[in-house]
Amino acid sequence: MEMEEKFDAIIVGAGASGLGAAYSLAKSGFNVVVLERGQRIGAKNVYGGRIYSHVFEKEIPGFKEDAPVERWVTSERLTFLDDSSAATLELSSDFSSENSFITTLSKFNEWLGKKVEETGGLVISGIKVDDLIIEGSTVKGIVAGEERLFADVVIDAEGVNPILAKKAGLRGDWNPHEVAVGVKEVIKLPESVIEDRFNLNHGEGAANLFLGYASRYGFGGGFLYTAKDTISIGVVVRVDSAIANRISVYDIVEDFRLHPYISKLIKDGSPIEYSAHLVPEAGIHGVPKLYGNGILLTGDAAGFVLNRGFTVRGVDFAFLSGVIAAETIRKAHEEGDFSASTLSHYEQRLKESVVFRELENFRKVPNLLSNLRFFETYPKLLCEILKDAYTVGEDSKKIYPLLKNKMRDRVSMITLIRDIISVVRNL
Amino acid sequence: MSDGGDEKLSVEARLGLVAFTIDSEPHIRVNQDECRKCSLKQCLFVCPAKLYTEEEGEIKFNHEGCLECGTCRIACPKIDWNYPRGGFGAHYQYG
Repeated sequence: MEMEEKFDAIIVGAGASGLGAAYSLAKSGFNVVVLERGQRIGAKNVYGGRIYSHVFEKEIPGFKEDAPVERWVTSERLTFLDDSSAATLELSSDFSSENSFITTLSKFNEWLGKKVEETGGLVISGIKVDDLIIEGSTVKGIVAGEERLFADVVIDAEGVNPILAKKAGLRGDWNPHEVAVGVKEVIKLPESVIEDRFNLNHGEGAANLFLGYASRYGFGGGFLYTAKDTISIGVVVRVDSAIANRISVYDIVEDFRLHPYISKLIKDGSPIEYSAHLVPEAGIHGVPKLYGNGILLTGDAAGFVLNRGFTVRGVDFAFLSGVIAAETIRKAHEEGDFSASTLSHYEQRLKESVVFRELENFRKVPNLLSNLRFFETYPKLLCEILKDAYTVGEDSKKIYPLLKNKMRDRVSMITLIRDIISVVRNL
Repeated sequence: MSDGGDEKLSVEARLGLVAFTIDSEPHIRVNQDECRKCSLKQCLFVCPAKLYTEEEGEIKFNHEGCLECGTCRIACPKIDWNYPRGGFGAHYQYG
């Protein structure tokens, strides 16, 4: 790297948002560099297992034919789990629109990196950005070790730990109730075994979210995604809940793996990787200031993740935020002005985009999902009631007395009905 | 090392599944003065790699095996937290 060289844009982090920005800028002939701290693209990226394809199909020509899709999701499952039982709701469908797919984020980002390079963008791995060069109140470039690089604008796509965004004064740090820790194990199993066990045709995949036992009945949940010849299982726990309940986070995914419901699904499969990552959980409430003089904030660092309990979206939002950042930079370039007032276009455009529309539409969800009954009372109740209802003995009870009996001292009928209404209204 | 099955895998065994390039210098440091004042000691249980331990009243952090998630820095703002140097740390293949 030449010290004197000035780039049109420096992008910090080769995740989905940084690469989205780089792809879009490089396509328009901008001189961009992406700096990635990992030894290779994808080495530091971790997520659950699923990507929604809509945004990518719109932005990347020939996406479906080319992307490293391992399985298209055709089976959506939501499971309520107690210590020993599981009650699962499954939607099995052909999803002919090919709505979402399963892959690993490491592999997906590596592929996005290739797309960036094909369009003439430069991605350099193994470089950690230590600091921003700030003159007055304007970001002028970055510091990486001994190197100082300058650009018209820096895109901060550093990920969920907002070290640089804090230095730029764009945001404070996350509070423990605004982020969750996710831990994951990847289990190796033959392709045909996965398809048989999950009732899938070749190339079809299952996505399963879990409420209850997985997160020790606290805020969070479990997940399972079937990739081609691996299954990802994991647990996500909000950090405040982990602290308050003194949860041994290093044990939760193993306890989940050994749950009777999960252990049967992954029988004879052995873990081949263990990983952990933070997840933004605050929805629209976690979105900070998105621009300053010479800087834009994208992806996880900007909190662009939507968790609705039965779906979690982040990678497509990240990518789109990068694309919109690129669009803003093209406009700023035309005007020859990279001050906050021109870069505010980024926020305006984001507000018109699916990212803000969705986060705004589900603004009450983080609050709704702060109700412990969804994580403890209801998963346990459902499992117990169904277990009793399906158990035939001398005197079988009707559902209603069974329900009343189980609800006693745990939740009132009024509260239950209120919670159902709030789910239907807000989720 | 057990290959999983029905037995619980220790966190050490699971960390053995991750590819690392370990730096000689730690990227995270604890401040003993702050640790001595701390009664919660949440670092001991929130770290997914169980890298914080207490020995003779002192909190120790072992940077080898750090998954770089940042959970400890959210749980305890007193920790001097950084990512490892570029190219060092975990190399996930199935992230």
